[in-house]
Amino acid sequence: MLSVERLCVAYGGLRALIDVSVEVGAGQFAAIVGPNGAGKTTLFKSISGIVAPVSGAIRFDGQDLLAIAPAARAQLGIAHVPEGRQVFKALSVLENLEMGAHPLRARALWARNLEQIFALFPVLAQRRSQLAGTLSGGEQQMLAIGRGLASAPRLLMLDEPSMGLAPTIVDQIFERIRGIHREAGIAVLLVEQRVAEALESCDRGYVLESGRVVLEGTHDTLIRDERVKRAYLGM
Amino acid sequence: MERRIGRDLAIIVIAVMAYLAASLLIDNQYYQLMLALVPIWAIVGISWNLFSGYSGMVSFGHASFFGLGAYTVTLLMVKLDLSPWLGVPIGMGVGALAGALIGWPTFRLRGHYFALAMLAYPLALLYIFEWLGFQEVSLPMKRESAAAYMQFKDQRYYVGIALGMLVIAMAVALRIERSRFGLSLLAIKQNEPAAEAAGINTLAWKMKAIMVSGAMCAAVGGLYAVVLLVVTPPSVFGLLTSAQALIVTLFGGVATVWGPVVGSAILIPLAEILHAELGDKLPGIQGVVYGAAIVMVILLAPEGVVPRVRDAWRRRHARAEPATKSATPATTVGSSSRTVGDRVVLKVEGVSRAFGGLQAVQDVSFEVREGEVLGIIGPNGAGKTTLFNLMNGFIAPDAGRVVWAGEDLVGQRPNEICRRGLGRTFQVVRPFPRMTVLQNVVVGAFVAERDDEAAVALAGEALVRVGLGDRAQAPAAGLTNVELRLMELARALASRPRLLMLDETLAGLGSQEIERMLGVIDALARSGITVVIIEHTMQAMVRLADRLVVLDHGRLLAAGQPEAVTRNPAVIEAYLGKRWMKHAQR
Amino acid sequence: MDALILTENVLQALAAGILVGSVYGLMCVGLGLIYGVMRVINFAQGDFLMLGMYAALYLFTGLGLGAALGPYLGPAVATVLGAAILYVLGVVLHQTLLRRVTGIRVAGTESEGHYPQLILTLGISLILANAGLIVFGSMPQSIRTPLSASAWEIGPLVGQNLSVFLNKARSIAFLVSVVVALALFLFIARTRLGKTLRAAADNPEAATYMGIDVDAAYRVAFAIGVALTAIAGGMVATYYPFQPYVGLEFVIIMYAGVVLGGFGSIGGAFWGGLTIGLVQQLSTLVLPVQLQNAAIFVVFLVIVLVRPEGLFGRSAERI
Repeated sequence: MLSVERLCVAYGGLRALIDVSVEVGAGQFAAIVGPNGAGKTTLFKSISGIVAPVSGAIRFDGQDLLAIAPAARAQLGIAHVPEGRQVFKALSVLENLEMGAHPLRARALWARNLEQIFALFPVLAQRRSQLAGTLSGGEQQMLAIGRGLASAPRLLMLDEPSMGLAPTIVDQIFERIRGIHREAGIAVLLVEQRVAEALESCDRGYVLESGRVVLEGTHDTLIRDERVKRAYLGM
Repeated sequence: MERRIGRDLAIIVIAVMAYLAASLLIDNQYYQLMLALVPIWAIVGISWNLFSGYSGMVSFGHASFFGLGAYTVTLLMVKLDLSPWLGVPIGMGVGALAGALIGWPTFRLRGHYFALAMLAYPLALLYIFEWLGFQEVSLPMKRESAAAYMQFKDQRYYVGIALGMLVIAMAVALRIERSRFGLSLLAIKQNEPAAEAAGINTLAWKMKAIMVSGAMCAAVGGLYAVVLLVVTPPSVFGLLTSAQALIVTLFGGVATVWGPVVGSAILIPLAEILHAELGDKLPGIQGVVYGAAIVMVILLAPEGVVPRVRDAWRRRHARAEPATKSATPATTVGSSSRTVGDRVVLKVEGVSRAFGGLQAVQDVSFEVREGEVLGIIGPNGAGKTTLFNLMNGFIAPDAGRVVWAGEDLVGQRPNEICRRGLGRTFQVVRPFPRMTVLQNVVVGAFVAERDDEAAVALAGEALVRVGLGDRAQAPAAGLTNVELRLMELARALASRPRLLMLDETLAGLGSQEIERMLGVIDALARSGITVVIIEHTMQAMVRLADRLVVLDHGRLLAAGQPEAVTRNPAVIEAYLGKRWMKHAQR
Repeated sequence: MDALILTENVLQALAAGILVGSVYGLMCVGLGLIYGVMRVINFAQGDFLMLGMYAALYLFTGLGLGAALGPYLGPAVATVLGAAILYVLGVVLHQTLLRRVTGIRVAGTESEGHYPQLILTLGISLILANAGLIVFGSMPQSIRTPLSASAWEIGPLVGQNLSVFLNKARSIAFLVSVVVALALFLFIARTRLGKTLRAAADNPEAATYMGIDVDAAYRVAFAIGVALTAIAGGMVATYYPFQPYVGLEFVIIMYAGVVLGGFGSIGGAFWGGLTIGLVQQLSTLVLPVQLQNAAIFVVFLVIVLVRPEGLFGRSAERI
């Protein structure tokens, strides 16, 4: 469904991604792990179009994504839940979700989607008129995911959903993500620093380090691989 | 740095002589007046440039100084019969004072608040002067001893006086540009926090800049009054005056000495001629021309005409740079060959800081021993950079102390902390692209050496220590990633620090480049400088650091030798997640 | 007796302050919307005000709206039509010029983003004001109707004395301004497009992830902001003589109002403008007329120096 082919991204002279290739098949769960500064967020920004690559290609359903304007990519069914939540702080919870449902396809399914989102995250239903900026970190993360779901996506991209959250909340969030993947059959691309959580549920995993893919494999092979540990802890 | 002033001054004097000679050929009074206006507005532009062009704080209110200078000369002559030859210098004093009075409260503002406040001052003065009854003040005509009162029948004398002032203004500008004054202002413009951390007293330099700028602008305002013989509030305090100061400089080239001169030489005659020829049919033509000039410059050549031309010239005549030899570090990196003392040089005690509801740093305490390399690590969002900002004076902690050489640093400004021996680098390196590597580094040396020449020498030494000695004269724009980081390191080194705080110096570098940086840092540590470094690249840290401190969610998670820390289950959990151990053991 | 006269003067000043202040409020809302969404300091806002005045004037006289719709509706309709023209101008200016110095890529850089905008809008301001001088001439104009010189009397309130006079033209201006401002608030708060603008203002990057074209959002916000100020201008034109440089007189009023209300708060901008109107009118009780505007400057400077966030503002400076 999504295929990133030999992507190179640079900020000025700084090379952020070097020859990165990643694949997510329809309905699959792919995880990208790696230490900080490895380039994970840059990869997402390239897929979403905020950052333009120097070379390489990105294809979604066979279409050349780089030829499509950033704002138009959401219409294709790609939802990006950004690093650090990035909810619209001055808008209410409900308004945030409404904004998520910006693509035309999503507006048709709005009522049903909203019900499902509230069922998945009851706390959002409770706080629907509250300003998003006043929610706790975990609640904001749920809102960000809900906002992503509101766009009726076929691919859900999550950038470090665990960042800054307490471990118990992180568990809850990951459980919901797994649920979404299982029940709705939405493809998931997850970027995480917390390796175990990320690799636990994935079909396929990639290890990114200093802008390169240094390791890739299935869930089983990666979880036991000593190189993963070394990439993080330098041991 | 001063070598070339003599040559540049010679060029200026020749150009001015040529201009004067050309003006002697003009008979028409209107064009003679125009010839005088060109250098006058050039000086206004230079004065604006000295402040806003170099420091980046855009002033929309230089008309304040211009008008005050004009009125000082006029009123002194009307009320006290004082000659403008005295009035202009007194006006300079008024301008400098106004600069100080305006700068002191306004410098606390940032960005557009500053611009808006500066806009308000001349307009307020306009209304006040109108209310005071000075709607139109004419300079009294002096039939006898006209020259003593700067009054000449032949307009070309004014051209000469204006040119004389221009030469002085350009000499001042050159002197400032080449000295630490100009470089400090540029550093402030480029990256004010980094400048502060490098020991530059940003507030003091800004005040000096606005006072010099105010004095110069007021002086030329006084001459303007003498030339036009009548002063009205809108003509000197009006928005068009402030705008003209800005426009001639922007058009010609910000932060260059010739920029305002070129801009004035092109725009003033253009506008004046259009006004003379088409003024009655198209009464606002001057304003349209200036407005269009600004719009075009901002969109097409934001840095102005002079830099554009200079760049094109340089590109055509560029010599091929010799291929950089990759410096392979001869030293082995390893804490085992370094001796670490027992003396504690820096103590962080119970430091906490919250932002709104979020506790960014919570009760963090650790010690730094003399000569060691201490690594601060932790997952994303752990509060590492916040901790640095707390240690360095950019933010004040809610609680706790930072004790250095027996003194609590809390409450001191970053440049003072640098003065006391703590240097710091920043993650985002913003060099002066058009200047040489050496010039980029020398701003760091100002805090250590009062003499400009000694500062340059110190900067050169710092470059050699980081291995960039052969790149000292190269333009900074051509540096690679790792060289930029080394240059930033050299800048911090130039302040003769006893402790260096490095913020993610290795981020984004390839493995060979990391080796190079590690070699340099190791050598620095060996030379006796204590190093505290924030990093994510664990492999490197494990080899480089004597001790590690781990932060997570703002708290100290673990501290100790690298091997012990990386095996600490809590640390592993923080980085890899709780279930790692479970899975890895299956 | 003196107390009665004093009270009457104060009440008169208060009434005038509210009437005039509401029009200022609308102007400020236009400016505040542009800043709130795009983070652009628009120096040319005063000149858009001026263009709104001239547009209303020419439509009023050219289309004979005075005869057709009467003195109450005529100017108001001319004003709204004029604002529609200004809306189109706003779209064109954003598309051709402003887009290059604003937008997602620029919003990310630090203060670097601000100065090109400030300077560009200064250039546009100079062009508009001076081109206006060429096209319209320098003779002061106004939309003259019988309403400009007549007033409603409230009172007498105390025996035979103490009446407050409400100038009819100003009162209509007040009504129109309040209605339009309310309409805008409802638009921003309730409609999908309004929420989209708020989202784009709040977080342009996240908005792009949602599929919102932030550039187009900025364009709409700019054009609406220009149109709002043009409406205020058309209304001012009914009771205040204007010429092409009139924008300068109102620029500081607008900025003082927006800063007082707090940058980033559209509602605050209205209250800020209203307060400035009150300050201006009340200051006539103690200050000579020429210093009226100086009083506004002083207030402006004091606010900026003492409390930059204003009354309702979110942050003192967005970096």
